[in-house]
Amino acid sequence: MEYLATVTILIAIYVILAASYNLVIGYGGLATVAHPIFFAIGAYVSGLLAIHVGMPPILSVALGAVAAMVASVLLAASSLRVSGDYLLIASLGFQLGLLQLIRNLELTGGPGGLSNIPSTITGAARTPAFLAITIGLAAVSVLGIRAIVRGPYGRAITAMRDEELAFTALGRNAMSMKIVIFAIGCGVAGMAGGVYAYYFQYVSPEQFEVLQSAQILTMVVLGGMATAYGPVVGAVLLLAIPQAITFLNLPQNIMAPLQGIIFTVLVLLFLFLRPTGIMGASESKPRARATEAA
Amino acid sequence: MYDPVILAQIFWTGVATSAPHVLMTLGFALTLKVTGLWNFAQAGFMAIAFYTMFFALNGLDLPIFIAVLLAIGTTVVASLATEVYGLQVLRERQSGNLTFFIFTLILSQFIMYVITLIFGTEPQTLFKSILSPVQIIGGVAVSDWDLLGVGLMVMGMVALWLFMAFTKEGQFLTAVSDNAKLAELYGISARRSYRVTAVIASLFIVASMYLVGSHGGVVPNSPLELILGAVLGTLLGGIGRVFAAAAASIFLALIQSFSILVLASRWQNLLLYGFLFVAIVVFPRGVRLPKFRFALAGR
Amino acid sequence: MTQVLRTVDLNKRFGGIVVSDNINITIDRGEILGLIGPNGAGKTSLFNLISGVLRPDSGSIFLNGQAVDTSPLYKRARMGIARTWQNMLLFRTMTVIENLLIAPREYAGESILRVTFGLGSVRSAERQARERALGILDRMGLAGTAESMVTDLPFGQQKLIGLARTLMNDGPLLLLDEPMAGVEGAAYETMQAVVRQEAALGRAVCVVEHNVSFIRDLCSRAVFMANGKILQDGTVEELIASKALTELYFGV
Repeated sequence: MEYLATVTILIAIYVILAASYNLVIGYGGLATVAHPIFFAIGAYVSGLLAIHVGMPPILSVALGAVAAMVASVLLAASSLRVSGDYLLIASLGFQLGLLQLIRNLELTGGPGGLSNIPSTITGAARTPAFLAITIGLAAVSVLGIRAIVRGPYGRAITAMRDEELAFTALGRNAMSMKIVIFAIGCGVAGMAGGVYAYYFQYVSPEQFEVLQSAQILTMVVLGGMATAYGPVVGAVLLLAIPQAITFLNLPQNIMAPLQGIIFTVLVLLFLFLRPTGIMGASESKPRARATEAA
Repeated sequence: MYDPVILAQIFWTGVATSAPHVLMTLGFALTLKVTGLWNFAQAGFMAIAFYTMFFALNGLDLPIFIAVLLAIGTTVVASLATEVYGLQVLRERQSGNLTFFIFTLILSQFIMYVITLIFGTEPQTLFKSILSPVQIIGGVAVSDWDLLGVGLMVMGMVALWLFMAFTKEGQFLTAVSDNAKLAELYGISARRSYRVTAVIASLFIVASMYLVGSHGGVVPNSPLELILGAVLGTLLGGIGRVFAAAAASIFLALIQSFSILVLASRWQNLLLYGFLFVAIVVFPRGVRLPKFRFALAGR
Repeated sequence: MTQVLRTVDLNKRFGGIVVSDNINITIDRGEILGLIGPNGAGKTSLFNLISGVLRPDSGSIFLNGQAVDTSPLYKRARMGIARTWQNMLLFRTMTVIENLLIAPREYAGESILRVTFGLGSVRSAERQARERALGILDRMGLAGTAESMVTDLPFGQQKLIGLARTLMNDGPLLLLDEPMAGVEGAAYETMQAVVRQEAALGRAVCVVEHNVSFIRDLCSRAVFMANGKILQDGTVEELIASKALTELYFGV
């Protein structure tokens, strides 16, 4: 039971990560691979505040999210100035460089990471409480992002993705809009990191490798880019399938790459056969056709 | 500490260790120039190249030149297959940059997982011993590996330059990189140029992985880190300037080598990322040296 | 002072190619200025310089007497420099009315804070924008297409949507880049009528166009450009009468 609960909590955290990544990359059209590092910033900042300052969890998770947000604005503002393609390369450097720094600093516990993050909720209530918190946050994130991308703001995001030059020449500030989208997405990832740190009470650099972004990307592509519920479907599928394979009782050195192969094959298949993902509109609808033409 | 012999040694070792990176960067930057694509799938091809050689040498006990030929074969096949059945399809669909990025990244991931499943994650080397004979020239230790590396690097650069400057096929590549649509109007097939580029990049990849694999251990994930060096060189050199990218790779290796005089070794990688950042923020279009231009560098 | 736009010694070159060589033009309120010349003359580049897509190497641009040189593209748009594009650049995955709704100067969806917390004002701003958009479409005889996907419209109507988008604000200056290219029939008539009406309402209009009869019908004055230079500035009749220009452009 405890195992199932842990898996569910992990899924909820990944739903938050996938939904926020989808906001940035799917809706915003901002190619980045730095999502894991913003997850890490949230986790480390919250963890450090919990250990050294003994700050109440809500406040430290919020500060973790703010830290991720500030870092993301720095990254986006400096690289988007050059061009959209540049963000991809800049985010790669940011992800690798910052993780290298985390791996080497005394403060962050070096390669060993941060252990003994205090358990704020103890006893029998701990797991149910975290279940409620993570599922609640996941729901709020998904619905909140859905609200953002609908209505006038969402319309502007779509227009910007369609034709940025015309969008800007109509008086819209595409740059600030991109930075805002990026900051919200990364801030939400930071929040997920904070919750992760409090639940697992341990964070280490290898949990936030750049390859994680391939995994989150897989969830987004599989579920359907730029769809509200695609990331939910993607995250659940991608984390549930490995659990199912676990029952085959294969040794770890076969299991890990096998899971990787399954995921990457799924992404490649979807990319070519159904680019809109599981939750995406089918291609017969006019809107999808219009997107295809783009 | 600043003894000239020591400095000469650092310089030589720096240049020699840059050889695999330079070769890789040549292929990566050429691909970017011609196809306009940051082709991360090349990390996967690098893994294919290395493990083909590794298996041919250690599993099948084949002689080295056959192993290299086999590796060229598998790498070219993988790279062409990716071009024809992947990139070309996406191009015809007029997919966005993001789709290309996802495809190349996930493809190299896929290749690495398959290789992990077959070969495991233990570091492997091509030969039993990675020590190579050393001669002392003027007080500077020069190993056979160093000589091979520098030789391959120089040959690679010269061959690519000759190819681009003096063969029709090479001039087609430049035409396609300038404007693929216009080139097609003049009867140059962009599709063909992309395939030629894939083959050339494969040759550089095999040469590079031979050097890497005969100098230290390789794990399935290593190529992804190696390709970062190529990204960095390409950025510093300026997109579309293939030889400037190669020069930037040498420069970076030298900076890293000389930094041991002032920095603890664990910070050396960080220095690389520091450069990446400076490159991104300060020199978004590459470092331009006003008078010193390579023949193909201008655009 | 009725002068809306004035450029002073605008220079711009790309490598060896001069696209703008000491360009000085003025456009008055209510005037329709024609901009003609062969391909590659620098007409679109001049639009790009005025609207802020390109930065000049030297020179200044004044809108209603105020220098706009330092303002980026989106700010110049808010100051009232509206433009269309040779290849329209419509928002392809959106409907006709959605294309128009992006354009209002005080766009309700500009700020996420406003959308999140200012629900009432957002709704009324949206309603007003929708009314204005429907009014413009009605004027162009396109009211029935409001909810269609913009890519489903015939070419001529798509061109009109490109113009309609710029009419969502009351700016002083309108730059039209080849509005008639590929347009015929009813859309042609509509385009001509709307441009004339907008000028009559007091906008300064500048039109790049190869269709000489369109220029002759609409413009009192025209400028002839070649190789980034203004070769002649005068009435359309004068330009057509000029032998040198006729050889260069109109063909003999």
